[in-house]
Amino acid sequence: MLERLKSKRLYSMVFLTLVVLISASLLLWINSFTSVVVEANREAKIKSILESIFPDLTGYEESRDIIIVYEDDNIIGYTFIATGNGYSGKVSIFVGINPDYSIKDMEVLSHTETPGLGSKITEDAFTGQFEGLLIDDIALLRDGGKIDAITGATISSRAVTSAIQERMIEVIEILSNEG
Amino acid sequence: MEDKGNKNKYGARENRGTVFLKEFTKGLVISNPVFILALGLCPVLAVTSSIDNALGMGAGVIFVLLCSNIIISAIRRTIPSLVRIPVFIVIIATFVTILSLVFEAYIPLLHQSLGIYLALIVVNCIILGRAEVFASKNSVLYSVADALGIGFGFTLALVIISLFREILGTGGLTVFGFDLFSIPVLSEHPMNFFISPPGAFLVIGLLMALFKWIGVIKGE
Repeated sequence: MLERLKSKRLYSMVFLTLVVLISASLLLWINSFTSVVVEANREAKIKSILESIFPDLTGYEESRDIIIVYEDDNIIGYTFIATGNGYSGKVSIFVGINPDYSIKDMEVLSHTETPGLGSKITEDAFTGQFEGLLIDDIALLRDGGKIDAITGATISSRAVTSAIQERMIEVIEILSNEG
Repeated sequence: MEDKGNKNKYGARENRGTVFLKEFTKGLVISNPVFILALGLCPVLAVTSSIDNALGMGAGVIFVLLCSNIIISAIRRTIPSLVRIPVFIVIIATFVTILSLVFEAYIPLLHQSLGIYLALIVVNCIILGRAEVFASKNSVLYSVADALGIGFGFTLALVIISLFREILGTGGLTVFGFDLFSIPVLSEHPMNFFISPPGAFLVIGLLMALFKWIGVIKGE
């Protein structure tokens, strides 16, 4: 009898629907507590990066994806996140700039570049080059800028410089318009 | 391969423990999913460039394979044949998503470096293959043995391949942030070829030949 029942279309539809409902409920439940942890991780990470770029900060506020960093009542800088397409996936970079729009520091938040090659964009030897640069210098040497690309990882290096430069142009425009 | 008989091909009785052990060890060498069955090679190429990724992926596949084999085997008599593939895929995808959510919350670094390959475990032929060929036709106990054997065989393959690729390709070995060692001349001029996909193909091909040779010698 079970065999006859199993060959009925209705049983198949009900069965599959049930499986999907159970699966979706289980996932909703698990997501309800993992998403809390993910969000907390994200907040903590942003806070620690902010503090490492601007050690003297006393407070910050976020407005339109740009974080304004304060020391007491003075604005000591701004930070933003620049994203671009690397060699094998999205690259996300946290950039801190001074009030005069020169770069204070930057840190690669996430990437999926090749280990041993493109992954070197996270190393100080590469990121340290950005300090003090103005918007026009943020490009590879061969592209007219001041950044020495990583050997064997030109595409990854260029992805970082163009992502930062593009986003920085937008950020500077927003900041100058706000006066 | 129904489990009722407990009689091996010579007609002698074997107890459940022996059969369990056999199903388990089968997945390690004789039916190694990567080197013998040649299943799920795409993620193998991608995650073996570093041993951290290899171990993480291996652990993930063992978890998904185990859970999906258990569930599918437990409800195998009620699954209508008409929709069995969609049912398998929904079950497998559920466990992969659970894995992904948990990694994202508690091991974010690994989640990030595995990237899209974590989600791609859903379409890894190994898992769907074992569900269709084994779990849907065998008891839960043996399905557990099969999952563990194939899962550990997969992880073993990943680790061996990544050892070659990482040592030759970067000149050293770094596990979860600990630099294990660094070979003097090699680390200054590493053979980058092995980090790239063609290098992966080469390593896998040579190891496949080795495993086949071991099989031939054992007279399987």
